[in-house]
Amino acid sequence: MLAAGLIAAGVVLAACSSSSTPATTTTKPGGTLESTNSQYLSADLKAPAGALTAAGSTFVQPFFTKAFFQYQSLNQGVQVNYSGVGSGQGITDFQAGNVNFAASDVPMSSSDLAKVPASSGPVIQVPDILGGVTVSYNLPGVTSRLKLDAATLAGIFDGTIKTWDASQIKALNPGLTLPSNAITPEVRADSSGTTYIFTDYLAKAAGAAWTLGTSKTISWPSSAVQTPKNSGVASSIKSTPYSVGYVELAYAIQNNFTYASIKNAAGNYVVPSANTVAADADQKTSVTPTDFSIVNASGTTSYPISGYSWAIVLQKQTNATTGATAVKVLDWTTHSGGGQALAAGLDYVALPPAVQNSVRAQLLTITGPSGQVLLTK
Amino acid sequence: MTTLAFDTSIDPILERRRRIQSEAAASLGRRKVYSRIALGICWVFLGIAVVPLIAVVAYVVIKGLPAWNVDFFTKSTVPEGIPGGGVWNAIVGTAIIGAVATAASVPIGLLCGLFLAESDGRIAAAIRFSADVMTGVPSITIGIFGYIAIVKNTGHFSGLAGAFAIGIIMVPIIMRAGETAIRGVPLHLNEAALALGARRATVAGRVVIPAALPGIITGVLLAVARGLGETAPLLLTIFGNQFLQWNPTKPIEALPLVIYNNSSQPYADLIQVAWGAALLLVVVVLVLSIGSRVLAHVLQREKR
Amino acid sequence: MAVNTAESPLLGGARRGGRLALPNSVYRALLAVVAAVFVGLVAWFLISLIVQAKPAFSTLGFSWIVQKVWNPSHNQFGLLPFILGTIETTAIALVLAVPIGLGTALALAYLVPHRLRPGLSTAVELLAAVPSVVYGLWGLIVLAPLCREYLEPFLSSAFGWTGLFNGPNQGVGLLLAGIILFVMILPTMVAISRDVLAVVPEEQVEGATALGATRWQVLRKVVVPGARTGLLGAFTLATGRALGETVAVALVIGNSPFIAHSIKSPAATLPSLIVNNFGEATGTELSALFGAGLVLLVIGVAVNALARVLVRSTARDSTASAASVAVA
Repeated sequence: MLAAGLIAAGVVLAACSSSSTPATTTTKPGGTLESTNSQYLSADLKAPAGALTAAGSTFVQPFFTKAFFQYQSLNQGVQVNYSGVGSGQGITDFQAGNVNFAASDVPMSSSDLAKVPASSGPVIQVPDILGGVTVSYNLPGVTSRLKLDAATLAGIFDGTIKTWDASQIKALNPGLTLPSNAITPEVRADSSGTTYIFTDYLAKAAGAAWTLGTSKTISWPSSAVQTPKNSGVASSIKSTPYSVGYVELAYAIQNNFTYASIKNAAGNYVVPSANTVAADADQKTSVTPTDFSIVNASGTTSYPISGYSWAIVLQKQTNATTGATAVKVLDWTTHSGGGQALAAGLDYVALPPAVQNSVRAQLLTITGPSGQVLLTK
Repeated sequence: MTTLAFDTSIDPILERRRRIQSEAAASLGRRKVYSRIALGICWVFLGIAVVPLIAVVAYVVIKGLPAWNVDFFTKSTVPEGIPGGGVWNAIVGTAIIGAVATAASVPIGLLCGLFLAESDGRIAAAIRFSADVMTGVPSITIGIFGYIAIVKNTGHFSGLAGAFAIGIIMVPIIMRAGETAIRGVPLHLNEAALALGARRATVAGRVVIPAALPGIITGVLLAVARGLGETAPLLLTIFGNQFLQWNPTKPIEALPLVIYNNSSQPYADLIQVAWGAALLLVVVVLVLSIGSRVLAHVLQREKR
Repeated sequence: MAVNTAESPLLGGARRGGRLALPNSVYRALLAVVAAVFVGLVAWFLISLIVQAKPAFSTLGFSWIVQKVWNPSHNQFGLLPFILGTIETTAIALVLAVPIGLGTALALAYLVPHRLRPGLSTAVELLAAVPSVVYGLWGLIVLAPLCREYLEPFLSSAFGWTGLFNGPNQGVGLLLAGIILFVMILPTMVAISRDVLAVVPEEQVEGATALGATRWQVLRKVVVPGARTGLLGAFTLATGRALGETVAVALVIGNSPFIAHSIKSPAATLPSLIVNNFGEATGTELSALFGAGLVLLVIGVAVNALARVLVRSTARDSTASAASVAVA
């Protein structure tokens, strides 16, 4: 019943050329923002001066660095030093207490959470942006867009499909002249949330054909070139002819990559874009740290390799001032009218209003050392 | 009668010499050809060696210079896509790391060098062994130590952790240069001073170290040049910072980090920043190296 | 200075008992304390590395060091691919650097016109100070495309029959890493080799020339053997630098944790493994990375010690002192 409703919503979206603007009717999954939003946002911009240190996902890095830059131009005393080191290292730095907050495209698992010292207390994880993972390639001589499905991608990335003119790729792209050159898969060397989203899709959509599992770190075939960070993979794709890799949409667009259209659950080949990523996310707007995957969602225009990136912060802040700064910056960044307004221009998708509301509800539970709520109107 | 003439035909030594001479004369042409070929190969190798080295320097200059403008030296990093920005934050960070590392490693290195020059006991052997270990250790392992010793214990990344690692790399260089320079000071200077009733500390401070100064300064400047260019230890310790940070106990940026991080970026403007930073780092390192030579030369001449 | 400056201030200093006039015992103690601080620091370094690596040894035994599979998600931490990668990249660098470095050093010491020698030698010494990350940048941006477009296709077609050049031309990989290391260690190697070659006594060179030896014979039979010890020191020192190089290699090797099946394959070395994984590792993986650091340290110290032994103990020739200064 529910699934049928979701599919229907997807069809509606597709019918109105899959607008990413959240709908106002309650039947649409995007929801509406609470009316107190603007009050919180103006309070957010009065965060106490200070320098924050944050690390993690490179999926979110282009968005974060510009959002924090924008925030600083509105509130000059606050510096957020965000280092894109990969989701895995962000989580490790967070566990070690080296950063004020972390970002990861896959929330911390229970075993990750167990490595946070008990004295630090509970961990709050909230979505901070929505993005897509493209399959970008450097294929000299081929100008039209490739069509790929999960099983073929699985073969390319586990090393069983070795050349561009392999029968599986040809079958999906009739009429395209493909070179016989060997495929160089470009993958992440570091522990990466982007890798998680990509392999999560392969596992869900290709089923048994994908044998390397779903994880931030994968044991890739030996033919793969491994580079740290989204930017590293993008750079490697750019400089290596006949290579193919997975990078976040913003990286693919800014580098003028050609990227494949990917077969979604409804059987359509969908080009990644802000609209199609939003269509995918709209299929499921109640994400939690334990139920976060939105890959391979139903809906005719859903781009199936989409995902949220998550901000990770301690619920009990040991320093009232930096704690307040961190919470206010995160609140500003995760809401329309604040950082989310930058999303479209940076080829990301703003969080659906329902998700934004739940993010604020979560951030309101963060307290200072004496138990005071740090996020205020 | 007056047979002063030797019968050369039967003297075995002369016979052998003659044979060698005739063989040498016969093979001269062949040997000359070999020689030409071999020397030609040496020239070719010189050419092969010079090409990449010149190419590295030429690329750094040609690609780096266009990145240099006022903003490059006065502004901090801005996010990709926003025009402007520079590496002022990295320049300050590298200067701070260099200053802290030098301030810590010079006294330790110098006093250890003095100790080594003056004594030959078990402790001296231990120092020599330690210095040997530290020279042989790859710098990434010293970065690991900086992480364990400072980052882990203080709970956050900092310029200090980087300076600690860089300082450890510099100590053995200063120590050896110091020891060599101090051992080079004529013993009679020492003895004269001691005979006059001076205490050892006075002799060291007023006689030995001033006399050994050219060698010491050269060693220190070379150690600084080496330290400033080290990248691997910084990757594990200083975290990086797109903002200007003067406080060494906070995460900090550095020029080698900018080069390393930006070189694997897909964006042309960030790669250009990497070249600019590389040019700056090369200039700084070369100025230190050349400066150490010039200074040593000048001090040496003054002494005479 | 010896007479003029040392005398009067010294007397003044001794009489006045200035700042530096510590009693001898205090001065000795001060030196000993500083020395102990340094030795203590190194001991702390070694001990902490061993302590941090210990969990890996106690969970995995000793055999993990030579196992083939690195797959942290399956608790497999074999270091063999990285040890081999380290050795292979260094070997490629040395195969190129030893003949070319020696030839260059000979040319600089004996063939280049006298007027040019000091300038060229200084230039080479200065190049040795260029930070390795700059070589890495150049390798990744400039050399990788050249390697992929020209060098690799050429090698594959010329030497493909050896089986060493299988696989696609990707630019990054063992070959490029080896070449970058070669370019990086070349100045060090040439600078030291030139120094030790230049101090072979002139009488020997002249004597051999007077006996009718050709220039090459002089170099081959007199100069190189005379500088043997110093040259060995230079080569071992360069080897040590190549083995431990981190960033230049990490940028161009492709970071594939497998034993390379081809010289063109992407691979990884111990330092590149550490620098890519250290930040995100926890638990046994982190401990295994400390273990990798320990293995690297043992290799590095062994090579360096070898250099010293070669230079110090077998040194009978005239190049010994020059070489030991250089190695220091």
